[in-house]
Amino acid sequence: MDKKETDDKKAAVIERESQTEALREMLRAPAAAPLAPLPLETLVPEVRQQTPAVRQRATRPDARLHGLGQTKYIDDFYLPGMLFAKIKRAGIASARIVRIDTKEAEALPGVVAVVTARDVPCNSFGPSLKDQPVLAGERVFHAGDGVAAVAAVTEQIAAEALEKIEVEYEPVTPVLDPLESLKLETPGLHAPNPNIYGHKVIRKGDVEKGFAASYRIFEASYRTQMVEHVPLEPHSSLATWDANGRVTIYSTLGRITLGRADLARTLAVPMSRIRIIATVVGGNFGGKNEITTEPVVALLAKKTGRPVKCTFTRPEEFTSSTTRHPIIMDYKTGVTKEGRILARQVRLVLDGGAYCSWSETTLAKACILSPGPYDIENIYAEAFVVYTNKTMTGAMRGFGAPQVCFAYESHMDDIAEALGIDPLEIRLRNVLREGSLSPTSQQLHSVVVRETLLQAAQRFGWNGAEVRA
Amino acid sequence: MAKVTLTVNGEARTASVSPETTLLRLLREEFGLTGSKLGCDVGDCGACTVMVDGKSVNSCLMLAVQADGRDVVTIEGLATMERLHPLQQLFEDKGSLQCGFCGPGIIISAKALLDENPDPTEEEIRDALAGNLCRCTGYSKMIEAVRAVARAGRDERTAGSVA
Amino acid sequence: MKAFEVVVARNSRHAVALLAERVPTAKVKVIAGGTDLMADLKFAPSSHAPDVVVDISRADDLRHISMTDAGLSIGALVTHTEIMRSPVIRDLFPALLDAAHTIGAVQTRNLGTLGGNLVTAVPSVDSGPTLVALDARVTLLSPAGQRAMPLADFFVGPRKTALKPDELLVDILIPRENLGKPACFLKFGLRKGQALALVNVAASFWVDWDRNVFVAPRIALGAVAPKVIHASSAQAYLEGRAIEPAAMAEAGRLAVGDAKPINDFRASAEYRRDLIAVLSRRALEGAYALAQSKRSGKVAGGLQASRRGER
Repeated sequence: MDKKETDDKKAAVIERESQTEALREMLRAPAAAPLAPLPLETLVPEVRQQTPAVRQRATRPDARLHGLGQTKYIDDFYLPGMLFAKIKRAGIASARIVRIDTKEAEALPGVVAVVTARDVPCNSFGPSLKDQPVLAGERVFHAGDGVAAVAAVTEQIAAEALEKIEVEYEPVTPVLDPLESLKLETPGLHAPNPNIYGHKVIRKGDVEKGFAASYRIFEASYRTQMVEHVPLEPHSSLATWDANGRVTIYSTLGRITLGRADLARTLAVPMSRIRIIATVVGGNFGGKNEITTEPVVALLAKKTGRPVKCTFTRPEEFTSSTTRHPIIMDYKTGVTKEGRILARQVRLVLDGGAYCSWSETTLAKACILSPGPYDIENIYAEAFVVYTNKTMTGAMRGFGAPQVCFAYESHMDDIAEALGIDPLEIRLRNVLREGSLSPTSQQLHSVVVRETLLQAAQRFGWNGAEVRA
Repeated sequence: MAKVTLTVNGEARTASVSPETTLLRLLREEFGLTGSKLGCDVGDCGACTVMVDGKSVNSCLMLAVQADGRDVVTIEGLATMERLHPLQQLFEDKGSLQCGFCGPGIIISAKALLDENPDPTEEEIRDALAGNLCRCTGYSKMIEAVRAVARAGRDERTAGSVA
Repeated sequence: MKAFEVVVARNSRHAVALLAERVPTAKVKVIAGGTDLMADLKFAPSSHAPDVVVDISRADDLRHISMTDAGLSIGALVTHTEIMRSPVIRDLFPALLDAAHTIGAVQTRNLGTLGGNLVTAVPSVDSGPTLVALDARVTLLSPAGQRAMPLADFFVGPRKTALKPDELLVDILIPRENLGKPACFLKFGLRKGQALALVNVAASFWVDWDRNVFVAPRIALGAVAPKVIHASSAQAYLEGRAIEPAAMAEAGRLAVGDAKPINDFRASAEYRRDLIAVLSRRALEGAYALAQSKRSGKVAGGLQASRRGER
């Protein structure tokens, strides 16, 4: 980089800094002082203006310790006197728990404590609906439900103790198909609440009028599968109580404030007595946005008076953490002869699994994005999320966006082929433009879908892309 | 209990462990070398990769007693804060690690490759790293870093032969 | 993982003596590289766990690749990496090198052994098809002595072999008459690295150059039946037939009928049937290409032979 260029960059930075000096001053105000309203505009970069950080090379501050193998993730912590916890998993999708016998496990040398649902002060939590138990009490709703937990002097003894816990189940017919769950006559998993626990509708224009004016109408159904985040670092937490009845929990949690609220609720301890230390997270991807092992280790630590750590096994990552929602996506699209979309109707059925988790957020985002990045005058999109006796589904990168993207882009390809239009061309004829209205009728600015498509087409050498660009 | 004596990062170490203890647990729990990670415990993810007698292995699949008398190198044996191994330097410079959990295993796999083959092709690098999973999807920058280390080594050798 | 005792064998005779001593009174497992056994034991219920594990990883008499009067002898402890680096195997059977290369990843190939791979006997065993196609025989050692059998018979079913609890697989032999017999191994997995085969195939035959016909053709299929099988009807069809593309394609189609693929989460039976036809044909083409290059004195490296099949 030559000197002039460097100086120019510096000047740009300085100029920008002086512009935001007033803002900085406000941000510097002590937390106790009443906050002046922030001028929102200055926080938003000008359209098509890059912030000074763009194109600057940066080294991650944590890179050195990562590379040296010195970064400490929770499983790397060993506190003096620490015990290891393991959780017994139901292994059955739907059942009533008739009896749990933990005597033999408790008698195993090296086992210090066993807890079940009876030991949980308030056995329900969740980021929105509080429908998830810490440990299943009367009912098992999916195979990955915990039914008991053991703290022992070694992991191996804790694992062995799990085998000695006897659980008698009375199987209940599971609901596995989301479309089955959607039917009103299907018994509710969490009765008296209905199986449909979230619903959203987006209306824009009049789809019936749009379909009536269409040259052709295309209908198709798409499905996606369940996906696990598979963070390289399994879920883990470590709890230790101090002499004054305060608990410190080290956790791989992405949302500690929310986790603190859930812990206060489940442990029935004031939030002021709970301290969560979020350690370096070895991959989150949305899967570590809510508590899992935290209340269990806290209860075991309280019962034993010793620090307790619990780390998921890899199988538990798949059965007992959240996953991405499978969605059944029905599309109906009316088009002109030239491939211009006049109306689009969408129905989404999200498989919510056994508990709500972040389903409501996912449902909303999937529904809003389901018509795709296309300028469509008439839209009707409806989304449902239903309970099934499966691993719960929750937050995962994109919150429902990747699933609907797969559906509407597949649909576009099918339509293009049927009409004999180039797949790129049909998209260019329909994409959102500057000032277009989104499916929720928000006016959009800084829209570069067209430019992005053209650049992409040129870079991977799509037929004819050179000509258009 | 089984007595295990081995060389770890150049030092003779001894421990008494129960026979079913894996090499990974020996390193982490007896020797406090927590750089090698437990990711899957079945040899799929490579986070536990260490070198035994110069070859990369999954330490979660090897019994500690099988490592008795052998020479083990872990990520902790590569460098200090002041003097990095070229791989660690380049992984840092290229931003090859994101969450970092897979990093120690990947760097050991790359070291095992470069020790045997100082000038690998990209195909060979990919093959050497195939047993190390990264979910942050940072593979291209890792490959870039390994290539850069190989290139630097090649330049050094060329300079040496000219001089 | 449940606690167990580990006894270390100094050599194969010692290992067999340890088995004889412990098997009558305890649940015993043998560990070599441990890549299959350890993964199985980690999450196995303790009722399935062994009381005693005999560690043969130091039985160095089983770590050899040597030419004998009977043929090429490969010790059970030879690792997949060692197979990939053996000049003898590269020269005589590049297909074995290709097969070894598709197993797991570097770390597991450094630990995992040929014997262990065969003894685990999953239907998709990657070491299996090439050796079966080359009529390999295995030697089993017990205190009573040795016995040998064709590898094809050693495999009994999914994870089942003819090995008795007090026996040890010690040697894999490719018979003298098949030394240098052109062979090609192809595997189709869902990924390039660390994938289990949806289908794996090995083809091998001699060429009668005067008449340009197949001699002693073999096609072995993995992952499409309870164990590695010969595609018998395809083999019978090819015997003495003129070598031409149509014959190879027809053999591929016949091989489909010899297999009994299943539906599972990796692929449907229908998809596997398609793969069998295509891969069998390509493996025959690969083996023929190798035969031609050997004849003209240019030995194609193993990898090139397999890449041709990946198209």
